[in-house]
Amino acid sequence: MKTEISFILNGLEVDVTVDGHLRLIDVLRNMMSLTGTKEGCGKGECGACTVIVDGRAVNSCLYPANEIEGKSVTTIEGLQMPEHKLSKIQQAFVDHGGIQCGFCTPGMIMSAKALLDSNPNPSDKEIREALQGNLCRCTGYVQIVEAVKRAARQLKSKQ
Amino acid sequence: MKNFRYIGKETSRPDAPDKAAGKAHYIHDLQRPGMLYGKIKFSDHPHARIKHIDTSKAERLSGVRAVITANNSPEVRFGFLRDNFALKKDKVRQYRDELAAVAAIDPDIAEEAIELIKVEYEPLPGLFSPHEAMKKGSPLIHETDSQGRPRTDNLVPLQYHHESGNLSAGKRAAKYMAQGEFSTPRVQQCCMGTAGCLAEFDMNSNLTIWAKTQIPFLAQRDFNRALSDMGLNDKNTRVIVPALGGGFGTGLDTHAYEYIAILLAFQTGRPVKIVYTRDEEFAYFSPRQSSTTKITQGCGQDGKLTFREVEVVQDNGAYTSWGATYPSVMMMPATSLYRVPSVYFNAQLVYTNNTYCQAMRGYGNPEHTWALESNMDELAGEAGIDPYDFRMINCNKPKETTPMGLKVSTCGLKECLQTVAKKLDWKKKSKKGKCRGKGMASLIHVGGGGRIYRSDASGLILKLDDFGNVNAYHGGVEMGQGLHSVLTLGIAEALGVRPEKVFINPLDTSTCPWDVGTHASRGAFMACNTAILAANKLRDRIFELSEELFPQEVEKNLEKFIKKNPGYKPPDFDFIKAAKRERFDLKDGSIFIKDAPREPWLSLDLGRLLRAIHFRTQGQMLATEVFYDPPNELPDFAKGFGNISSTYAYGTQGAEVEVDTETGEVKILRMVAAHDVGKVLNPPALKGQIYGALAQGIGYALYEELQSEKGKILNPNFRDYKIPTAQEMDFPVDLEFIETNDSFGPFGAKGVAEPGLVPTAPAIANAIYDAIGIRIRDLPITQEKILAALKKLKEAND
Amino acid sequence: MRRFDYFRPKSLKEALELKKTIAGAKFISGGTDLIVQIKNRELKPSALISLRFIPELATIEINGGARIGALVTISDILQHPELGHNYPVLTEAAKSLGSVQIRNVATIGGNLCNCSPCADMALPLLVLEAKVRLQSAKASREVPISKFFKGPGESCLASNEILTDILLNPPHNKAKATFLKKGRVKVDLAIASLALLLEMEGGICRKARIAAGSVAPIPLRLSKVETLLEGAAVSEDLVSKAQHLARETVSPITDVRATEKYRRQIVGVYVKRGLEKILGQSLA
Repeated sequence: MKTEISFILNGLEVDVTVDGHLRLIDVLRNMMSLTGTKEGCGKGECGACTVIVDGRAVNSCLYPANEIEGKSVTTIEGLQMPEHKLSKIQQAFVDHGGIQCGFCTPGMIMSAKALLDSNPNPSDKEIREALQGNLCRCTGYVQIVEAVKRAARQLKSKQ
Repeated sequence: MKNFRYIGKETSRPDAPDKAAGKAHYIHDLQRPGMLYGKIKFSDHPHARIKHIDTSKAERLSGVRAVITANNSPEVRFGFLRDNFALKKDKVRQYRDELAAVAAIDPDIAEEAIELIKVEYEPLPGLFSPHEAMKKGSPLIHETDSQGRPRTDNLVPLQYHHESGNLSAGKRAAKYMAQGEFSTPRVQQCCMGTAGCLAEFDMNSNLTIWAKTQIPFLAQRDFNRALSDMGLNDKNTRVIVPALGGGFGTGLDTHAYEYIAILLAFQTGRPVKIVYTRDEEFAYFSPRQSSTTKITQGCGQDGKLTFREVEVVQDNGAYTSWGATYPSVMMMPATSLYRVPSVYFNAQLVYTNNTYCQAMRGYGNPEHTWALESNMDELAGEAGIDPYDFRMINCNKPKETTPMGLKVSTCGLKECLQTVAKKLDWKKKSKKGKCRGKGMASLIHVGGGGRIYRSDASGLILKLDDFGNVNAYHGGVEMGQGLHSVLTLGIAEALGVRPEKVFINPLDTSTCPWDVGTHASRGAFMACNTAILAANKLRDRIFELSEELFPQEVEKNLEKFIKKNPGYKPPDFDFIKAAKRERFDLKDGSIFIKDAPREPWLSLDLGRLLRAIHFRTQGQMLATEVFYDPPNELPDFAKGFGNISSTYAYGTQGAEVEVDTETGEVKILRMVAAHDVGKVLNPPALKGQIYGALAQGIGYALYEELQSEKGKILNPNFRDYKIPTAQEMDFPVDLEFIETNDSFGPFGAKGVAEPGLVPTAPAIANAIYDAIGIRIRDLPITQEKILAALKKLKEAND
Repeated sequence: MRRFDYFRPKSLKEALELKKTIAGAKFISGGTDLIVQIKNRELKPSALISLRFIPELATIEINGGARIGALVTISDILQHPELGHNYPVLTEAAKSLGSVQIRNVATIGGNLCNCSPCADMALPLLVLEAKVRLQSAKASREVPISKFFKGPGESCLASNEILTDILLNPPHNKAKATFLKKGRVKVDLAIASLALLLEMEGGICRKARIAAGSVAPIPLRLSKVETLLEGAAVSEDLVSKAQHLARETVSPITDVRATEKYRRQIVGVYVKRGLEKILGQSLA
């Protein structure tokens, strides 16, 4: 059974026809060719597939595609700024050594963005809690937490 | 010390922006026109004869393009001892044995087809403990070796043995002794990007494979051999390595799924991609080997070690990978961490019906250091010497040759120990009331390559273009560790160009020079050594050409400059006479005469020089290749002797912990790590290596274990196999790098990719002992084990 | 993943109608457990009927007590100031459930209907003596949460029923409650967990409600321990008896996360720690 769904993807309205068993990550990666969202476990344990749906970080690997109807989805691709620039959060990850193999990075950045959108001044503890659903095997998280802190400071100074 | 322009400076990685943008392409993201999806049917038994495989239903499923088994496809043998087959014909020896495979037009259909394959087995008795499998008369897991000769036991035919000094004299000289049996579990590498590959044949039957590998050139050799097995003689494989998604040792071997993708691609004539799901990765991919280590050490009244005796038994699992050479690395700490005059070391690997194992970061060293450094504390306790003092008494020194014949060039172990003791306020005991304690442990590791193959070499090709860009082709794998970052800096520094002008090309065996593989913490050491060699060759050539071209081009500069600045009087300097090759220098892409006055016109842009030589009559372009094989030896592992690396990395880590004696929970309060890295190449990248390794070490210490029952993996997912998250790493980590400026190291640097996790577990265990007087000897030190041990202790005291 | 159809009814009536007509269909709320079970091939539904498009299921109402719609997400609970104020034990448990990403999608109703012995939300509801409302096409019934669970994956929910609401009594001004959970790491299924509610009066325990997770086939009320505590002054001796009784009452299993023995020990420790936390004194 196929269903037509309409939703906002990175600020633009899109319509897709999906099978019942498809998940949001399938729509993003296979139908929209947005491969920045990674599948690391397929069971909501690693967070590599994290995207933001209506302001909240979710695992796109557990999110039925059908449920996206009428919602607004932001993926890592939606963070890129004009003229090939990275957003402040992305740049902070680059500048502070928060990236190694990079497979967890898009999901990690989306979790960080969801946090900073709702809490512009997070404590160290709040950052770690916001990233609790994002596994990284390379970095030990130290520089990731540092990057999120720096990004928070930069975003604030901009305002 | 030399002043570096780029080396040692805070620099972000060249691959980071794309990764931050989600634009790095991993195997998972690759698509080829007409591509099919492969899926594997794994065994339902740990040890059984295969009676029949029924694939008929799978073949009939719409969307399936091929179903292969050992019965309808060529026999492809592989593995370190060639004891494994891509598809199993007669018998299965582990739960993950590959029986059949499907290629279909989408992954869901492939999965459905696999469910339709039915296999009949005749179960055989299984062996799940190496100690049991070692016993005479045990059922044989392999009835014959790879040559077809009958086997009589389950011992893996590899010898790792060392004897030095005089063991019995060492024992007699010992005033104090400590003995312990230590074990380590199978743990998973847990790369965030799961394993996978994409195989495609061209119409000449040459193969291209995009592989998640750390050994593209050895893989090329392995795959070419498979092509021969398939009857494709004289055909070639091109291995392309995309962004890896983590390696940690998983890429040191070729894997059955790669051969299966090759077979499916050949059979269907279409590209075939196989990517493991996380569950498959946990259940059907090789983890770190488990080991048991019996260690006895003794020391004199003065605390000096008199002997060390070590027996290791390793569970190899059903087949043999490069991981079977772990003891070659274990031998290094066994013989050479701390000064010990008499050493006995023996390791035996045993076939079992458990999942077969492979390399993981540290490669035997964490396993051995776990036993050794725990036992060092036990011995210090026996001798009544403070564990720090005890280590200082026995500390290694620069320029020594160890019992294994390791030729130590620089050694910063003393400084590492001192740093950790200082930062951890070692002599100030933790508050006992709160069940707090401190512990430390050290390490030695290969830091200048690690020769476990007949060549330990790496190559580099540098190609300069008309714009002064440097295109680099290197065979080392960027798997996240930051290799491209240090290679970029190394080339920029050594050649004299800005890092932005250096481009590291994708790793492809058809364009890059041979490299033994990215393992043994050798990436940065090798890459930067090749960078220096290649840069020196290029600089010689550039300066030679500058003799001819510099004066004429600078003359033009001067004319222009005077036109713009009328009345300018050039200084009295004869640049035509000064234009001699030995007087030139190149910095930031600009050629100049070292002792010339700094005039804006009196230098030549590298790009302009390159264009000048390119576009003159009988022009030419510059490129160079180098091949570097480090000055080390392939040890004789049966005798346990040989200088395996050209230099050695040292380090010490310390931990302060608090133990909840009602629940057994261990809270890490802080960690200190001091590492002899030779020279810091790129600070953020280096810190990332140590922080990341430390987190892996903490998981290894406290909760990571791939559990199995009769060969079946019980926790094949992140719900049940826990690795640290940002919340587990919520404590201060104090890093200090000791720079010993090694003469073999490029810019003085040693390899440091693995050391960060080697001493972590024993440092934590020693801290737990200090806190509550409990010595856990089998990893992981779970809350349960602590609670059980506390109970036992209490019962004994009551 | 196996194929299935997906329906998005806009009303309860439509949802129940679909369930009746499609053989092998399952309801889905947040799906964070369900999709995993389908991936693991533990469930093979022909269709999923989503409850996420039925607006009234996703609301919270404070009416002296509280009515929480079954489709309210765990994050919604955490962000609701009055719920947090009136029933802090509920937010304590909610905080411990899964990761941020899971809490943003997982629902309180889904957590209950999954009927896992470790269901984090079940424990506060058990000690708060909540009721659940079950709706079929024809009728609606209210069931005390203590009667809802029947075994791992099993509840008293009939196949033609939907759990629509969780109903909470008005908070008692003397009652204090707390929630404790043990995992191997922070984000983990409970190895053992415990919720404890106490009403004290003049040093005497007037009411005790204790529920434990991951130590029995269902999230379990420890009635015997409650009885022991009620009407008594909480002394070290009594606590020691309560710990002992708690360890005896539970019937945990050994699995990859913990042994049966360890789970028992933790329940005992948590009875003490829960009491200590509420009473603000050491009972060691």
